[in-house]
Amino acid sequence: MIRARVLAAVLVVAGVAAIAVGHHYRPAAEPPRSMPSSPAVARSAASSAAAASALTRGDLLPTSPPTRVRIPALRVDEAVTGLGQNPDGSMQVPTDAHTVGWYTGAPTPGALGPAVLAGHVNYKGADGTFARLSTLHPGDQVEVTRQDGITAVFTVTDVDRYAKDRFPATAVYGAIDHAGLRLITCGGDFDTRTGHYTDNIVAYAELRSTE
Amino acid sequence: MTFRRALLTAPVVATLLLATPTAALADESVQVKLLELNHSGASGTATLTATDRGDLRISIRSRGLVPNSPHAQHLHGSTAGMDFHCPDMSADRDGNGYVSTEEGMPVYGDIFVSLTTAGDTAKASGLAVDRMPVADASGNLRYDRTIAAADLPPGTVEHLKDLHIVQHGVDADGNGKYDMAGLGESTLAKSAGLTGIPEEATDPALCGMVSGAAAGSVPVGGVATGDGSTRDRAAVWYGTGGLALLAALGIVVVTRRRSYVPSRNQR
Ligand SMILES: [Cu+2]
Repeated sequence: MIRARVLAAVLVVAGVAAIAVGHHYRPAAEPPRSMPSSPAVARSAASSAAAASALTRGDLLPTSPPTRVRIPALRVDEAVTGLGQNPDGSMQVPTDAHTVGWYTGAPTPGALGPAVLAGHVNYKGADGTFARLSTLHPGDQVEVTRQDGITAVFTVTDVDRYAKDRFPATAVYGAIDHAGLRLITCGGDFDTRTGHYTDNIVAYAELRSTE
Repeated sequence: MTFRRALLTAPVVATLLLATPTAALADESVQVKLLELNHSGASGTATLTATDRGDLRISIRSRGLVPNSPHAQHLHGSTAGMDFHCPDMSADRDGNGYVSTEEGMPVYGDIFVSLTTAGDTAKASGLAVDRMPVADASGNLRYDRTIAAADLPPGTVEHLKDLHIVQHGVDADGNGKYDMAGLGESTLAKSAGLTGIPEEATDPALCGMVSGAAAGSVPVGGVATGDGSTRDRAAVWYGTGGLALLAALGIVVVTRRRSYVPSRNQR
């Protein structure tokens, strides 16, 4: 009798603990899916009407590849590797859950134009570095250290979710009049048939300062 | 032992990962806005794209240029970190109302690459008007050419944003063509050993300023950044926890019933 009570008590404790662990691992909240409205394009159109002497806006750094990325709000501090394209034209992705990839077919972080960093939401049984990317808020900082030793400090302006089959190429990769950064990971539903998530989460940021 | 080995290999792996971006060259597309010089009334846009092979693709669309006339065009500037920009009318030192190419050079730099339609692109081809693009009857000019990496001066791709496109050729007297009657003979051409070229043909009409940049090659579709491997983890823990609580409840119910039944018999 006492043994049964002890067992029941142990099960209650274990059950509550398991639910707490589950709560800890709960999926990150995501923004609603948006249509490709291209916030970046709207922004550059608005500013091109500004002073004709300077057609670009904000600080601009020379070209130098990134080596490390820090996102204090997500407790992220990871090495950066280069990513090209797969034979089918899609972007390569990092080969482990932690490393963040810099797409080499776009400008370097801090230089004029959109720099693109991609990281896994999860990979091979581990949560990825960008597991909680969707929880970033406008104003959060992203610090990218470059090979020239300069750290480019960006602030997040938007976080959006898009269906992968309607990926907003112009907003993410298109021309902008400032030094921008795009952080990309997966989101939405997981399609077990294809083995892929249906959506991408994209965080947009702008260069604010350099260190 | 294994842990120690892991500690030793970790920096090696990190070095390999860091080495990758070094080799890669940012392949990017620089957007240029062509602004009128010398009250030419012309305007235009240009795109300079550095390809992953280090080639440079140049695309220029201008309008309002002198019709049916060749327009010498160049990338001006240097890769030595000089801060060149587009001149305004204050660069007109001789006060003839036109900024000549020589007067503009201290501001936008010397010819760096000649944007010819065929053949070499050296500085020496700067006035090769027979190989320069011609504006159509409406004054529109289209130019597209890819210059191979081997034909570019060193540092061109790395300093794309520091260079300025300049298109030359104005019509000072408004007669629809270049002639000596407009501004006389070109001192620039003369100093290069070419006689009989009107100043109108060599004075700048448009100067380009960088207005934006984009990815040089856009990947297809979305990005496959996740394999779903931890997406069910919360559900598994919730499920396990729920099952444990159910089992505990079951034990309580069963033991209660057992303890209840004998007591009834005892009565
Ligand atoms: Cu020129």
